[in-house]
Amino acid sequence: MESNWATEHLQAIRTLMERAAIYRRALAPVMLLAGVVGLAAAVAGWFLQIDSPRAFIGYWFGVSVIPLAGAVFLVRQQALRDGEPFWSPPMRRVTFALLPPVVAGFISSVVLPVHLRGLDANTANVLGMLWLPLGWIVLYGCALHAAGFFMPRGMKLFGWIFILGGCGLFALGIPDLPRATYAHGVMGFFFGALHLAYGVYLYFTEKNET
Amino acid sequence: MNPEPFLQLDRVIHEKGRLAIMSLLAATVELSFTEMRDTLTMTDGNLTAHIRTLHESGYVSVTKAFQGGRPLTTYTLTAQGKKAFATYINLLEQIVQQTKQSK
Repeated sequence: MESNWATEHLQAIRTLMERAAIYRRALAPVMLLAGVVGLAAAVAGWFLQIDSPRAFIGYWFGVSVIPLAGAVFLVRQQALRDGEPFWSPPMRRVTFALLPPVVAGFISSVVLPVHLRGLDANTANVLGMLWLPLGWIVLYGCALHAAGFFMPRGMKLFGWIFILGGCGLFALGIPDLPRATYAHGVMGFFFGALHLAYGVYLYFTEKNET
Repeated sequence: MNPEPFLQLDRVIHEKGRLAIMSLLAATVELSFTEMRDTLTMTDGNLTAHIRTLHESGYVSVTKAFQGGRPLTTYTLTAQGKKAFATYINLLEQIVQQTKQSK
């Protein structure tokens, strides 16, 4: 009898400590924003015929700033509305979990265009518009998966979709499609459609949980 | 069974609401009032009363600041609070172990 309450107390303490470490900001608006921006950017990139590797990298690099800034703004608004600090301990944990793969993606995106200069057009195309975007997808999946340890609602699974999807496309090799169409299509699917789908899912599930 | 661990349990922490607050604060560097209230689904009055008891016992420190022109109160476990919480957990584990051995 006596050990029962002690065990229950310990269990309750463990549960509460885990709950305190979880990041609780609503992610649906962030995901929806990222999805809309990703899809619009893919369509715009295809229409504008951004089909050189360096232009492609620069274009998507610039596009990535929009959802990133939007996410910071939305999360900050939520924190202000709830009277909570923006840079809270769960926020710090999530940010630090995201950082290594994001920094790796950033550095490779800055370094690769420099090395593309001396390469022939086909190699540069494959590197800049096929392998680099797939690398972004895999690294982004790693970042989501790492952050998922401090987030509820299937974030780790979402990360796995990026990792396996990116690796799967690597395994398929070089597709017999116009390079720019394929590259913008892949970016639009992963960074647009998938985010949009996850955002819609979160929109309906997060409300119930909160 | 040795009743000693049970008698040594800190009565300030042993109360359910205060134990919940201590558990949350032990898992993180600091928490705001609203974060705690929402996580524990406590009323403002109840949470305030428990925090006051913990603060008076020297277990929780209170920081008042302003963020975006609005007051922001955050709470942290003090060194004394961390020690008391660790002792409390150890005693609970001793009680569980003792009961397992006596079966």
